[in-house]
Amino acid sequence: MRRCTKCVVPETQDMISFDEQGVCATCQQIEYKHEKIDWKERRKEFEEILEQHRGKGAYDCIIPFSGGKDSTYTAWSLIREFNLKPLIVSFDHGFYRPKMLQDTERVVKKLGGDFLRFKSDWQVVKKLMKESLIRKGDIMWHSHCGIYAFPMHVAVKFKIPLIIWGEPTSEYVSYYSYEENEQVDEKRFNRVVNLGINAEDMVGMLDDSVTLRDLEPYTYPKLKDLRDIGYRSICQGTYIPWDTKKQSEIIRDELGWTGDQVEGIPFERYWYEKVEDGFQGVQDYLKWLKRGWSRMTHLASIDIRNGRMTREEGMAMIEKYEGFRPASLDVFLKAIDMDDEEFHEIALKHVVSPHVPPDWRKLPRGPELPDQKDWTINIDLE
Amino acid sequence: MVTIVNYGLGNLFSVAKAFEMIGADVTVSSNPKDIESADHIVMPGVGAFGNGMMFLKEKGLDTVLTEQVIEKKKPFLGICLGLQLLAEIGEEHGAHEGLGWIEGKVRTIDTKGEDLKIPHVGWNNLVVTQDNPLLTDINSNADFYFVHSYQLECTNPNDRIATTTYGETITAAIWHENIFATQFHPEKSQDAGLKLLENFLSYTH
Amino acid sequence: MLKVRLIPTLLLLDGRMIKTKQFGEYRDVGNPRTVAKVYDAQGVDELIFLDITASEENRHFVFDIIAAVAEECFIPLTVGGGIRTLEQAREMLAHGADKVAINTAAIEHPKFITEIANKFGNSTVVVSIDYKKNTEGKNEVFTHRGTEPTGLDPVEWAKEAESLGAGEILLTCIDREGMMNGYDLEVLKQVTSAVTIPVTASGGVGTIQDLVDGIVEGGASAVSAASIFHFTDQSIFKAHSHMKEKGLSVRKKA
Repeated sequence: MRRCTKCVVPETQDMISFDEQGVCATCQQIEYKHEKIDWKERRKEFEEILEQHRGKGAYDCIIPFSGGKDSTYTAWSLIREFNLKPLIVSFDHGFYRPKMLQDTERVVKKLGGDFLRFKSDWQVVKKLMKESLIRKGDIMWHSHCGIYAFPMHVAVKFKIPLIIWGEPTSEYVSYYSYEENEQVDEKRFNRVVNLGINAEDMVGMLDDSVTLRDLEPYTYPKLKDLRDIGYRSICQGTYIPWDTKKQSEIIRDELGWTGDQVEGIPFERYWYEKVEDGFQGVQDYLKWLKRGWSRMTHLASIDIRNGRMTREEGMAMIEKYEGFRPASLDVFLKAIDMDDEEFHEIALKHVVSPHVPPDWRKLPRGPELPDQKDWTINIDLE
Repeated sequence: MVTIVNYGLGNLFSVAKAFEMIGADVTVSSNPKDIESADHIVMPGVGAFGNGMMFLKEKGLDTVLTEQVIEKKKPFLGICLGLQLLAEIGEEHGAHEGLGWIEGKVRTIDTKGEDLKIPHVGWNNLVVTQDNPLLTDINSNADFYFVHSYQLECTNPNDRIATTTYGETITAAIWHENIFATQFHPEKSQDAGLKLLENFLSYTH
Repeated sequence: MLKVRLIPTLLLLDGRMIKTKQFGEYRDVGNPRTVAKVYDAQGVDELIFLDITASEENRHFVFDIIAAVAEECFIPLTVGGGIRTLEQAREMLAHGADKVAINTAAIEHPKFITEIANKFGNSTVVVSIDYKKNTEGKNEVFTHRGTEPTGLDPVEWAKEAESLGAGEILLTCIDREGMMNGYDLEVLKQVTSAVTIPVTASGGVGTIQDLVDGIVEGGASAVSAASIFHFTDQSIFKAHSHMKEKGLSVRKKA
């Protein structure tokens, strides 16, 4: 399996392409980001957009919020640095971890700001996770869609036209380049977010117990309704240079955001990464089965692109941290009532060539996260 | 108001929807009154040259269009057959007289002996031969959708603002005072095409 | 430079999208309107909708679907399935289709091709040819979703369709459809060599390399696929990117 000659992402990443030197498109994009963008100019543009919306209506903007490092930084920045009055909107996919929920309490109370959390029907979610796994080898369809569609529904219902997200996708993948003006709109939803499946597709794939009404939170609002409020859905990272390490430190120091241990990566170095989702370990494991790489590769690549790690170090980290069956898989299998055999059979149908997965039965088990027994999912399983 | 001329030929629905998508007020009509009251006039077209002219004449649209476009100088966009009909002569299935707004004739594409399929169908990129308001802010590598077997050979090279290559060099777009026309289909060319239509809408003569 | 085209085929049944195997068993793969939007967002070159709804009363779904797709997706749309009259063709085109694909009707009344070409333009007529090996092991054109033999050879029929005014040919190998083992390159090459109009290859794509083979070895101007995008993790992006890597001229990101 071929990897980028600069970072360590392999050819099985969706949308990847390599130049004549074998450098991947994302690395090229990050070079562009560091060297060719007039960030002063972009920040001015950002401020102009904010001014157009400041003080109009009950809220200046919506901040879609997960409680993770990126959205927490955006909330901190927009409230403290840019003095906006936002409505903070959080789509709850059902498996936020206990420490994450505590952190969110602290952050939101310290920052101030009206906070709206929406948790979708868990009984429906379980069916969606299973179908999503079968169709695409990915368990988070409901989460991907809910996170991006639900805040748009709130925008329409509360008539708040400006929606400000965190990092642009061009930071990690090449669906969009940094030159393009990445709008977080329906086209992006269909291109990058929903695995190619909309709610209207999903409803025909499930049995009659789930109707389109049940899938409302995952349905993107009609273009007409969004245009009627004059919507504008942008990434803060298009206008200020994104630096997750620096930003995590800011929210830690300013708001006491603590981060957490995550399966498959070293805590000391990556205390801030992907801490919110209990099933992230399973999702990352699926990626590893299908594509032969996982979160460690992703993080090492980011560090390499930002000059914080060498390629050799990256490869060594991958060797050490990838290739474990996550302990959380047991919880997941119980939640959707499936066994190991069936899970792996389904996952292996989605292998992306030329990756050839090893025998999953021989994989070592990763350590159980300390908070796993406290996950709220366990309530349902009692 | 954008009036899309309905003379019986062309993918009127898509053209109308494309203009609606970019926020225009659209009327699709064969009624001369709607052409008279239009701010922008669009003439799409798919089909044969002879039929196109015949239908335009039958409905008296050739007269009202000449009045509104040539005399009153309203911004005009012709698409595909709507570009070809602007010529003096069309050679498809015999010689036919066109509207004569642009000097030139419409003849078969010369594939220059290359093993190329006809019609010229698919996405092709442009070479912009002159600065123009129609193609501003559009990526120079953008592809547009072509589907045709004949091309407009311009007598006056200044009328051409863009070409494409398929065997020979083909007229892709023209501009003459208030008259624009494209051989390709902007309403079928995704984002680049929609941007072109936006540019056309912003044009005032 | 003219780009090669990647055209997903969306099979419709009673208003839903399905996927078949060798024209047989089928599976629901989504809502055609939203699937079209996904493909559009991912940068496909065109879309083909084939309606295999048998019942007459459910045939109206397809008009609404096409109109809805044409409102938001600004790429060429080809629609086929049960188009037998000039009026049906007209209605399809009026609802937003750019091309109509005719199959059975063209074989039963070959002049139908000419009629549509004369009225709406050659470029609006795609003649869809389904073929498979008959009981004698010879390639034969079949109609009615592969159930009725016609006695026609696919290459000869393609030539005749061209002479009657077809703008393009859509060639589907029934034996290969849904099997994900690659196109039938031999017959594809025979057809593309026999006609001067563009041919779209359909039926059998299992890997992205099959798409490349269809163009390079089969001589197709456009390649169509369905299963690969529904049942595997392969995406339109990967397809375009691989085709480009293999030296084919593909459309840049929209």
